[in-house]
Order: sequence, then C-alpha cells, then structure tokens
Amino acid sequence: MAKGYRQAPGKGGSKKRTDGKRVAGQQDFGVPGSGGSDPYSKLQDLDYVPESVGGWKKQPRGPHVHDRHVTGMTIGKPVPLVDSNWKITGQAHYGDDIRLPGELIGKILRSPHHYAKILSIDTSAAEAMDGVFAVATGQDSVNKFGVLPVTKDEHAMAQEKVRHVGDLVACVCAIDEATAIEAMNAISVDYEVLPSIHDMEDGLKDSENPIHDRGKYHIGESNVQKRVFQQFGDLEGMKDAPFHHEADWETAGLHHGFTEPHAVVAHWDPSGRLTVWTPQQVPHYLHRGLSAVLDIPMHQINVHRTFVGGGFGGKSDPFPHEMCAAILARKSGRPVRINFDREEVYWINRGRHPSRIQMGVFADDEGRISGIETDALIDGGAFASFGHVTTYYNGVLHTAPYEIGAFNYTGARVWTNKPASGAMRGHGAVNSRCAVEVGIDAVSEQMKVDPMTFRLANLLPPHSRTITGFRVTSTGMRECLAKVREQSGWDEKFRNLPLGKGIGVGCGFFISGSGLPIHWDPENFPHATVHLQCDMDGGVTVHTGAADIGQGSDTAVAQAVSEVLALPLDMIRIRSKESDTAPVDLGSYSSRVTFMNCNAAIKAACELRDKVLKAAWEITGYNPDVLVIGDRRIYYKHDPAIGVSWLEAVHKAQADVGSLIASGAYRTPPMGGIHKGAAAGLAPAYSFSAYVAEVDVDVETGFVKITKAWAAHDCGKALNPLAVKGQIIGSCHMGMGQVLSEEMKYGRNGHLMNPDLLDYKIMSVHEMPDVVPIIVESNDPEGPFGAKEAGEGPLLPILPAVCNAIYDAIGIRIDELPVTPDRLHKRIEKHCRKLGIDDPLELPVPRFEAGPLQQKLVERAKSHAKRDHLRDIQEDRSSYVNGVLFGFDPDKPMSEQKEGWRESVIPTPEDLADPKKRAARAWSHVERRHRGDA
Amino acid sequence: MRMPPFTLHTPENLAQALSLASEMDNFDWVAGGTDLLPNYKWHLNPKPNVISLAKVQELTALSSTVIGAMVRVHDLANSEEIHPLIRETAATIASVMIRRSATVGGNICLDTRCYWFNQTEEWRRSIDWCHKCDCDTGADCRVVPNQNTLCVATYQADLAAAFIALDATIHLASGDGTRSMPFADFFQLDGMTRNVLKLGELVTHVTLPEDSVNWEGGYQKLRLRETWDFPEAGVAAAWKIEDGKIAALRVASTGCESIPGDHSELAEGAIGEWNGKQSIRDLAEGVRKAVKPVSNTYFPPAYRRKMLRVLTRRALSPLEHL
Repeated sequence: MAKGYRQAPGKGGSKKRTDGKRVAGQQDFGVPGSGGSDPYSKLQDLDYVPESVGGWKKQPRGPHVHDRHVTGMTIGKPVPLVDSNWKITGQAHYGDDIRLPGELIGKILRSPHHYAKILSIDTSAAEAMDGVFAVATGQDSVNKFGVLPVTKDEHAMAQEKVRHVGDLVACVCAIDEATAIEAMNAISVDYEVLPSIHDMEDGLKDSENPIHDRGKYHIGESNVQKRVFQQFGDLEGMKDAPFHHEADWETAGLHHGFTEPHAVVAHWDPSGRLTVWTPQQVPHYLHRGLSAVLDIPMHQINVHRTFVGGGFGGKSDPFPHEMCAAILARKSGRPVRINFDREEVYWINRGRHPSRIQMGVFADDEGRISGIETDALIDGGAFASFGHVTTYYNGVLHTAPYEIGAFNYTGARVWTNKPASGAMRGHGAVNSRCAVEVGIDAVSEQMKVDPMTFRLANLLPPHSRTITGFRVTSTGMRECLAKVREQSGWDEKFRNLPLGKGIGVGCGFFISGSGLPIHWDPENFPHATVHLQCDMDGGVTVHTGAADIGQGSDTAVAQAVSEVLALPLDMIRIRSKESDTAPVDLGSYSSRVTFMNCNAAIKAACELRDKVLKAAWEITGYNPDVLVIGDRRIYYKHDPAIGVSWLEAVHKAQADVGSLIASGAYRTPPMGGIHKGAAAGLAPAYSFSAYVAEVDVDVETGFVKITKAWAAHDCGKALNPLAVKGQIIGSCHMGMGQVLSEEMKYGRNGHLMNPDLLDYKIMSVHEMPDVVPIIVESNDPEGPFGAKEAGEGPLLPILPAVCNAIYDAIGIRIDELPVTPDRLHKRIEKHCRKLGIDDPLELPVPRFEAGPLQQKLVERAKSHAKRDHLRDIQEDRSSYVNGVLFGFDPDKPMSEQKEGWRESVIPTPEDLADPKKRAARAWSHVERRHRGDA
Repeated sequence: MRMPPFTLHTPENLAQALSLASEMDNFDWVAGGTDLLPNYKWHLNPKPNVISLAKVQELTALSSTVIGAMVRVHDLANSEEIHPLIRETAATIASVMIRRSATVGGNICLDTRCYWFNQTEEWRRSIDWCHKCDCDTGADCRVVPNQNTLCVATYQADLAAAFIALDATIHLASGDGTRSMPFADFFQLDGMTRNVLKLGELVTHVTLPEDSVNWEGGYQKLRLRETWDFPEAGVAAAWKIEDGKIAALRVASTGCESIPGDHSELAEGAIGEWNGKQSIRDLAEGVRKAVKPVSNTYFPPAYRRKMLRVLTRRALSPLEHL
C-alpha cells in the first residue's frame, strides 16, 4: 500500500502535483502526525468493512448492530497477540518470575493420609530453627472460602481433618528453600486415620464420617455434595421409541496439564495493604477469598495477576496456597513466595471429574430424536470447587444443538478422598457430550441412516429455544457439518474404509459466557466493565479486569477499541493486571471474556469516539453524521481532504471537557426459565462445532492414531482468525489427550500413581494429527461484532469424532475413556471371541446400506436448511421452540398441548426406581432439615 | 524440587576415576545424568559423592565393533558405521534432547523403575516407603506385598535387547583390573541388584562380534507416545541368512522384568525346522511365556505380555517367507 491516505482509492496514480494544488479524487495527504509506529494514515480496508455500511465484506447472514462501528482496522484480520513479543523474548513475568527484595520461601506441609483426624500439631522445633521466620497452621486460618458462594468448604489449612493425600496441614517460611524444607519436615503431626472413600459409588452411601458436614443442608449422612434432577418433555413417547442406544460410560479424571506450576508471592506493604502476585484466571474471586480468610476489607488488598502459563480452568479457584502465602507474609513481615512442584499441582488439581454416565439416546420412526436420558455420577474429590455447576452442565448442555422430544437428567456429585475436581476446558459438557454423540451415531446405524444426515435433519434453527428454555440466537451448526462433510470427503469414506481405518463425526455445543454472575444479582452489577482513558499523546489506555491467560483477551479487547476508534493496535495499551486499577471482572471462565468484555469495550470506545467526533465537528464544521473516522484521521465523508488528525481532535476534546475518559459495561439480557437450576447453562449465546476425524487402529495392539481432523467451529465472528485457529488446533490436542491417553490413575490403595508429566501422558507432537481448522461465522446478533466463544467449545467434538471413527474402523463401540491401547485391545479380544474369530485381522468392518428413512431425512435436512436461512437473515421472525419438529405450537405452553408433558425438577419414586441408575441413588437420602434434624 | 547436597568429583582419565572410586564406599557414577539426576531430585537413594565421567576420554570410542560407554545415544543413533539394529534401537530412546545427553553406558546401567518407587519423597512417605528405597524402615515391596526379599522394579532400557540379540560382549573395569562377559550375563536379579557391577567398577565399552555386519535385525518397542516414554516392552531380533536359509537367530526382550531376557536358545531351537509364519507364531508364544511382568508400569502386565507376542512377530516379520 502506498504511504499516506489517498482520496478515492483506485483512481489516483503516482502523479503528484508539485505546485501545491490538489486535484480532486487524486490527492495524497501528508503525515497526520498522530502516533502509532507508522506515521502515515492507511486507507480504509474495505475488505473488512461489512456490506451493510458500504464495505466489501460479504454478510450472508445479514447486517449486525455493530457494523457501523467497523472501521476496517483489525477486526477479522489475523493479528499476533499483543503480548506475544513479551513472551517470545522471555520478558513476560510469570508467577515464578516475581522477585521481591527480602523475600522468604514458603513450603507447605501436606497430609500423607487419605482421610485422618488431626490430633495435634507440634511446630516448636520448626519455629526454633535458624532462618525460619514464621510457621502457620489451621489455627491461623479459621475462615472458610470457596469459589462458589453456595459451597464454601475450603480452608487455607486443615482444621480438624485432612481430606486427601496432599491436603494442606501447615506451612513455613524461611530464608531459603533448603531451610524451609527442613523446617517443614520438623513439624510433627499426630493423626488418627479414618476409613477413606475412593470409589464414587461409595460416596452415595451413608457414612459415619462424611468428608464434609453441611449442617442442616447435608444430604442424608452421605457424601453427596450436589444432586440435580430435570425432566422435560414427552417421556412416555421416548420410552416407546423404536430405536435406542444405551451405554454405561466410565471416564477417567483429568488434569489440565498447563506448563506453569502454581506460584504466588504475597507482600504487606508499609501502608498495611496486601499485594498478591499470582497467575490467576479469576483474580476477583481470589480478592474476595483473601478478604474472607484474612478478615480484612477488600480495599486493603491488591491482587496482581502475573502472566499465566496456561490455565484451562485449573487456575480459576481461589487457592489455599495463596492464602498461606498471605498468612505467612503477615506473620513474618516479609514478602513470601510459594512455588509448586509438579506433584503439588496434581494435588491441588481441579481437573475434569471422573464420571460414570449412563446415556440413553432414543429416536422415533420418523428419524427424530425422541429423547436423551442421562444419569451422571461425578467424582468431586475432597472439595466442592465448581462442582455445583459441573453437576448441572453434565446434563443441561446436551439439550442442543438437536431438537429433542424429551430430556431426562439425573446428576450427582460426591465427595471422595481424592484431590478435588473442578472446572476444566469444556467444563462438565465434555464427557456427556461424547456419550450423546456416540449414542447418535449408534442410533443412526440402527435406523440405517447416515449419521451426518441424521444430525442435519434434527438441528435447532437460529432464534429458537431449547427444551429447558435456553435461548439460542445464532447457530452455525449446519454450516459446520456441511463444511467438514465436504472437506473430509465424508460421502466417499464413511463405512467404506478397510479394517483398521475409520472416519467419524462429532458435534459440540457450549456456552459463550455464563449468564449468571455467581457473586451478585445481574440486575445490580454488570458482568464486565471497561474504562478508557486518552491523554495528550493520543493513545488509549484500557482498564479491564479480563484475565489474559494466554487465550488473548488483552488482544481481543485492544482490537475492539482499536476498531471503533480506528487506531492502530500499538496505540492501545491494556492495563488488566491489578485489581487496584482494573474494574471488577468475573475473570476468565465459562468462555465469557470475548463476548462480555469486548461488548463493554465497544460501548466505552463508542463513548470516547463520540467525544472526539464532537471536537472534530467543532474544528471542521461538519456534523459527526457525515464524518468518517479513519486511521488516525477524521474527515468529511464526501471530501476526505477536509478533515482533522486524531491527535488534533483529541487535544480539542481535552480542552473542551477536561479529561478524556469513557466507560462501558455489559450485562446479559433477561432470559431463561424459572425452574430450579434454570440459570445453569444459560448464556447470552452458544457456540457450535462439528469435527470429522480419521483414525488408524492397530487391531493387534489396540493403538489408535488420529491421522487427520477437520475441525469446523462456529465462533460467531472471528475477531482474530489467527487466535481462533490456535484455539481450535489446541483444543484438538487437548481433546485427543482425553480420548486416547490422559488420565489420573489411582492405585489399588487410592494413591495417585502418576502425578508427573512422564506418566500423565499428554500426547506429543508425534501423535498430533494434521488439523484443518475451519472457521464458521454465524454473526451472533448480540456478540461483539458478531463474535462468540472459541476457547472451550472446540474441544468437545474431537472426542466423539474419534470414538465414532474407531467404530467405523473396527466395529467396536467405545464407552470408556481414555481409549488406551490396553483397554481397546481387551475390547478387541472380547469382540473376536464373541464373533468366534481367532485373528483380529479378520474382523468384519461395519458397512452402510441406506434404509428407507435416509431419503426422507435428506429431504427434511434440505427444507430445514431453507428454514434456517430465512431465520438467519431475519426474514422469518416467527417464534420457534424445541418441539415444533414434533408438531407443537411454539406459542402455547407445551403442557397444554400434550398430556403427560413433564417439566419437573423433583423426582418421583418411580423416577428413581431403576436400581442400576447411580445418580438416582443420591435422591434416596433426605436433607437433614427435611428430616427435622436441624 | 531440590537435589540433596553431594560432592561432585571430575576425574580426568580412567585411571584417576578408578582410583578415586576405590577410595570411596558410597558414591554414584554419573555419565549423561538423565537417569541419575531426576532420581536424585526425587531423593531416590542419593549418595554423598558423585563421580562424573564427563572428562574421561577413554570411554568414547566408537566404531562398527567397539562402542564406548560414554558415547552419547544421539551419536550412536546417527553414526553410519554402527550396526543398523543398534542405530534403530538408539533412535527410539526417550527424546532428542535426552539422547543428546544420555550415554550408552548410562542406558545399559539404567536404574530399574517402578510406579511405587519413581515418585517424590512426600509421595513415598504417604505409602510408608518401599523395599527399593526404604529409608531405613525395612519397608515391604508395594507391588508384591508380604515378601521382603525381592525387588520387582522393571528394567526399562532399550539398548540391552539389541546388544543381546547381536551377541555383544560387555567390558568392565575397576581398580582390580578388567573383565568381560557375554552381554546377557551382565544382568543379575533382582531390581535392586540389577547387574554384576561391584563397588568401584564401571562399564567401559561394548564390543560386537566381527561378523555382526552380516547380521540383520529389528527392534520393536511398546510405549504409548513416540517420544519420552520408557519401553513397556521391547523385543530385538537378529538373524543371519546363509544360502537363503536362517543360519542363526537370536531374540531378546526388555522392559518387562528386572533384567532383560535372552531368548536365543528358544530361537536357535526354532530354526531347525523353520516354517515361516508358523515358526514365528510359536516363537512369539514362547517369548510371551518366558516373561512375567508385574503391575508396576503404565500398561497392565497382562497386556504387556500379550504385546510381547505381537512385538516378536513384528520383529521377525522379514523371516515370514523363509
């Protein structure tokens, strides 16, 4: 591109008048002189400006409310993350890089027992040692905390009981690490060992010593931490369905496997304020937790998020070691640093729940999904963490993308004497989604229908509502499926590959930001707030609490501001690290940051822009309606020669109003049903994805190699395609680990056998398949510039795609994760015995023969595609709720239209009658308050 | 993760190293350090003295028949002179970074491994220690409890299988002189004894028979990932073809027991009436029966045994049509 701005692009030449006079339509302008690393203004990039506002960018799904804020600067362009140079030059400071003068090293004494009463702790020997500055125990931290306000069950250090091997008992700080370790080992603790619980089904039973006591809310005398029941739809119809697949899934616990072990530094400054440096995904909850545990007001605490070396949900709880560092720093009067060894990372865990899921998928003779029935028991380990939410997500997140006749979910989470499970990328949805998608595959096999067609003929349209009342705005599910089908060559390969080679499809559905801010009423406080300030240099400083954990939230927010103000990215400075300077933000979880923070940032930027435009109006005399904001230059729409540089306008605005600041906030619109638990899984938008995976299965050894994956993800609008593709490819790697190799192995006496990266098998680059990332843009009406999430949803479909591909390759249905070679080999042997085959190389391969339903569903999919398009471009604005496919009127309550239609969150005895259902057993207990015990 | 303090000695030549060793009664040799140092960090039987062989030039010989103990595994894998079976085996060891540092001698003398042993000090304290590192508690074996005499930790090094298959000879040296033996005789049960090395003795080099160039072979390794992972089972086979017939056949396994297995007698017996695929199947079955892994590594022992059969078959697959 030529230097400088040229009027009427394309018409000008290199001819330049030397007499100083300008020629209309062929004029180069001089240096605007308003900052940025390139002094010249750039032409407006019309490739990235939507058609609706005069640009060239095609909008197959119609205009968007943010179109008029698009200036063609950065949105939709692949830009490197704004902090990438910090990282690649090694100057990004992670938790372990923080060094304060005079700092002490803290070490944590941990429990060697699964479950034990602490009879006494003697710290005198440790305290007497030279170089030891402070020792702290549970007595120094009697206040409870926890990430969810409803389930606070953690302490900085054990009070009277330790609940798993590695639970915190005491901590010390000393002049160096060696002394600290020696002092830690000098603390003597007397325990009385209690019988421990390791199997999640034992957690359902009454126990003499429940792991926690919830007082009057305790469920029986059991270790059930949370139970959920939801029943919606025509359950009778579901039971009568001619096609059904039921499977009993067992999935292993997982750890996030992030690169950076936890590390924290705490310091009380001379003014009596505490600063905590920590790689946190959710600094605000830590802020609250510290205040509760230390008994000081929040304004006396500054939480400083360092660079985060990978989070994936594993750094989103307030952690006991963060409390320990603060307690030790208070006691010793010196800064205290605590760094974790890898093993400690596994002990604090918060990874994916080990689960046992009974999944039934039912379909009727018209090829509709007449119901999904799920019973999910999940193993929470020793603490609640995010488990309350996980228990819901295991069920409620499979009410889409398909239209279903009935939804029957029972879920329970139990405490066991293991490291606590928590939130991990794809929170709660991953295991049960895999089970649903494998069920869909099995049912379409029974129906003799291509699973791709079956899915396409059963999708919920855009602008609809799920059976439990989630509001679906945009969906690109159909396009995702169509693209992976075409690009993978599905129609030629499906059920046509030789033994050992297979192809499979899987879909995903995930929230784009949790609709409920868990600490407050959304009516009162917004979900996200962004402040902007602009000073004499013309650059814009953005204050946001969005926690960049490597996913690129700093970049996304910077892009939103840069786009609206038409400033290059290097003029946008993000300040997101300290709670002192950042507005309160819920943090990086539930894939909410891009959606919520960018919306807030757009609002703030519009306010700032309006102030600057007003100043430009006063200088140029043209109303803002006819002013165009270009790259560091504001000009008259019909004669770009008339204009003013960004800097001049900013100076004028400052002279007029004093300080040039702006602020924007985002809150979700009112939505969702009114039943108990209606808010769980509620989100302002949802992401959709479809993957096709191809695998090679070695039938003699049970090894599975994913050879290629086509990964289509509907992220609404790719604000930064580079970052979206990175998320898709990274998700494939992470999901591949879960489906093929990663698991937390517990030994026969309950010990975690692989708390290290050699034996916790994260797949290497050698196993990584060729991933073709495909971005689908459904242009969400409420998303910032149309965007939705891309951080978690893309993980979901790779698991079922691989499981279904294994079936295509060898005819074995997977119901246990991970599919390690030894497990698969066992299944192959069993399968061979069943078929009376000696050599697995002679196994038959499943083949496809289309049944009578196939053509019918192809046609239905076609007509649905038309329906969806009309709803997409908002030509069809009629209401649509789950059930229309089954002949219901969307404008009347379902229960009025069909007798026996259920909407229930309390199980009846009949619902719990099946003795094989596990989570249902959790409902056999009566809460203490209902028994009159409390 | 802190290593316990130790004194590092760095002798300049073999004589110095051996005389240093003869003066000490509690020390470890260190070559590449890729096995020893992680174990030290986990406080697995650390010693107060460590003698580094990094400067000892006598141990770095590398030719088609002589392989010094201090040759880096990476150099072994990339040296044109070396027997293809050795090269192929070396290239499967750990990862590129580790191979750059790890040595042939270190690989041969790799400490045996076990899920209940290769853990941090705190972890082992939570199981009351184990037989192999009992911290003076007299702790029982955690894999096969109620027997206090035997350690069943697994030998998970790759090169040994290839050396046994090629009928290599191992050479040792100590202050008392040198000695040599067939490669398989170097190893000695149990998981703690590991091999015949006496205090102050070390492996100097390995020699291959002169006619090893006429031998062909293959190595098959069971592991979950194609890098980093130790062998959960490994089979090396080597054979010599004369006049279109198998003149000699040797098979060895590793990664399944506390010492590698030499199945050459079994293999020799099979070549008399060689019958292609069927002979290979029988031989593979024999290898499976000869080896009894226990449950102390990533894969369950039953699976590892079955895989030995598959690995043997695959290693011998070039002989299918003879």
